[in-house]
Amino acid sequence: MEATLKKEKLGQWIAALQKHGDVFAPDFVEDAWEFTKVKSGAEVPLDHTNTVRPAKGFVFPQREVLYRFRLENGKAPELTDSEPKVKPAVVFGVRPCDGRAMVRNDRVFACGFSDPYYQARRDKVVFVGLACNAPPSPNCFCVSLGGSPHSEDGLDVLMTELDGRYHIKATTDKGKDLVTRARDLFQDPNAADNKEVRNAHAIALEHPQRAISTMETVVEALRRNFTSPLWDKLAQACIGCGACTYLCPSCHCFDINDEVTGKSPLTGERVRTWDNCQFPDFTMHSSGHNPREDTGARLRQRICHKLLYFVENHKMQQCTGCGRCITHCPVGIDIVKIANVMEEGVWQ
Amino acid sequence: MSENAYLPLLARIVHIKEEVPGARAIKTFRVQFMNGGGFEHEPGQCAMISVFGKGESMISIASAPVITDYKQFSIMRSGRVTTAIHDMKVGDVIGVRGPYGNKFPVKDWKGRNLIFISGGCGLAPIWPVIQTAVANRKDFGTITVFYGGRTSRDIMYAAELEKLRGAADVHLSIDSPEEGWEGYCGFVPANVMSKPQNPDNTIAITCGPPIMIKFVINNLREMGFAEDQIYTTIENKMKCGIGKCGRCNVGKDYVCVKGPVYSWAQLKTLPQEY
Repeated sequence: MEATLKKEKLGQWIAALQKHGDVFAPDFVEDAWEFTKVKSGAEVPLDHTNTVRPAKGFVFPQREVLYRFRLENGKAPELTDSEPKVKPAVVFGVRPCDGRAMVRNDRVFACGFSDPYYQARRDKVVFVGLACNAPPSPNCFCVSLGGSPHSEDGLDVLMTELDGRYHIKATTDKGKDLVTRARDLFQDPNAADNKEVRNAHAIALEHPQRAISTMETVVEALRRNFTSPLWDKLAQACIGCGACTYLCPSCHCFDINDEVTGKSPLTGERVRTWDNCQFPDFTMHSSGHNPREDTGARLRQRICHKLLYFVENHKMQQCTGCGRCITHCPVGIDIVKIANVMEEGVWQ
Repeated sequence: MSENAYLPLLARIVHIKEEVPGARAIKTFRVQFMNGGGFEHEPGQCAMISVFGKGESMISIASAPVITDYKQFSIMRSGRVTTAIHDMKVGDVIGVRGPYGNKFPVKDWKGRNLIFISGGCGLAPIWPVIQTAVANRKDFGTITVFYGGRTSRDIMYAAELEKLRGAADVHLSIDSPEEGWEGYCGFVPANVMSKPQNPDNTIAITCGPPIMIKFVINNLREMGFAEDQIYTTIENKMKCGIGKCGRCNVGKDYVCVKGPVYSWAQLKTLPQEY
């Protein structure tokens, strides 16, 4: 389903959607773009670069309660609230890299055992993408990874900014619903609209991006260099802060812990939180043995998971080229550079 | 199994046996599912054990699959959860979810000789295989069990191992000599080497500390065992048990799903991150 929407009508569309649930869009909060709940009547300019935190949090929150437990002395434990309660939500301004990351997350959370918490959110959250007419970050490299600045993968709707209006393409039932609910606001695209969209998309592809020059051979290069001392060199500056994976739209690793809220009776919550392969205790056994005991092994895990293991398991990279891990690394560790270095096997 | 894979079944501890005393104590717990819950398992599979308020730990199921009225877990006191379960009493309730992981391909081993080689609490994961083999004794050739502990007090399943004699050749060892000890003195790999095994038509199953497994595999290879005649299990830290939390991977494999059982032929193709 395709349509156009005059820019001045975006607010009315959002107002119509707010009758059914929360609407989120990027807002410049303090010093960063963050997905923020749109207040009633607030303007949504959609002029953001890319949000610091990815859209994954809407379907895989940083902290979520799996269930609650209660143990009364002498009685069997009671487990409650194991059904995820999710409010419907629409998220505007999702960049195509975050949309493609959602396809990766779907693979993880839906393959084999299904994950009811992720699935409940995925069913109720609608992602409205915004095509990148120009790269929102100097570290963008989506094209290297088979994506594009106007990829529709993983999104329910893709909006493309045109002169004075948006071109809207709804690709899923959830997405089409959003348009149908406020049908009067939209117009059918005419030949001029279609031409302008094609132009915008073509121009977007002409903007220079960073590139992994060896994408076809990086799988072999990573296999070849698994035991290379290169990893220790590349990771030498790493302080193990984990910003790279927390901010990654497709990193999905999590921890499960019990948070006790009362002692007698014993009450508490079993909680799932984002976890991080860059932390030493991520893999440390209770014996103290650690299969990935230094930063080199942990950096190798992050890169190999994205560009080797996920490819082996799912035939696609687990990276969509958003560039956040590069932009926000405090010591300049750079996945594009690492992938390129692997081919040569040397780094100065 | 519950539709929500993260939600454990409740199980009551009905029997506790202290196997090994000391700082690295091992206790065997038998648990019965409550409220009509339960699941079947295959030898080699694991379950996620919950102590509410402490957390979860992945533990191998040590009872034979044919036993349906309880599940058995032999647990070394090691971290937060295993320490908490060591402090529990008969009647206390834990959570159990599973079964997780693959299995030993016991059915494919019909007509073969079996050699089990283990040390420490590594006897627990292969115990269901030994039990299955002994229960179907005529389906297999010779059955040999090597097992070692640091000292005679570190021998788990001591009484059960004695009962095995007759159905199986049992060779016990302790690391250094003790008065009254009639078995072998020395490490498990050396015990195996001192009684050379014929690899013809034989499968070797080994489980124990990583360093023991390494030398056992070297010795078996020296005796002429092919890579696909050697099976072992690997363990890594786990949180979800269902291939999502991302920490137990060895290369592309999540051990909780693709493992823990590997032939040496399979395992040597994976990076050494375990």
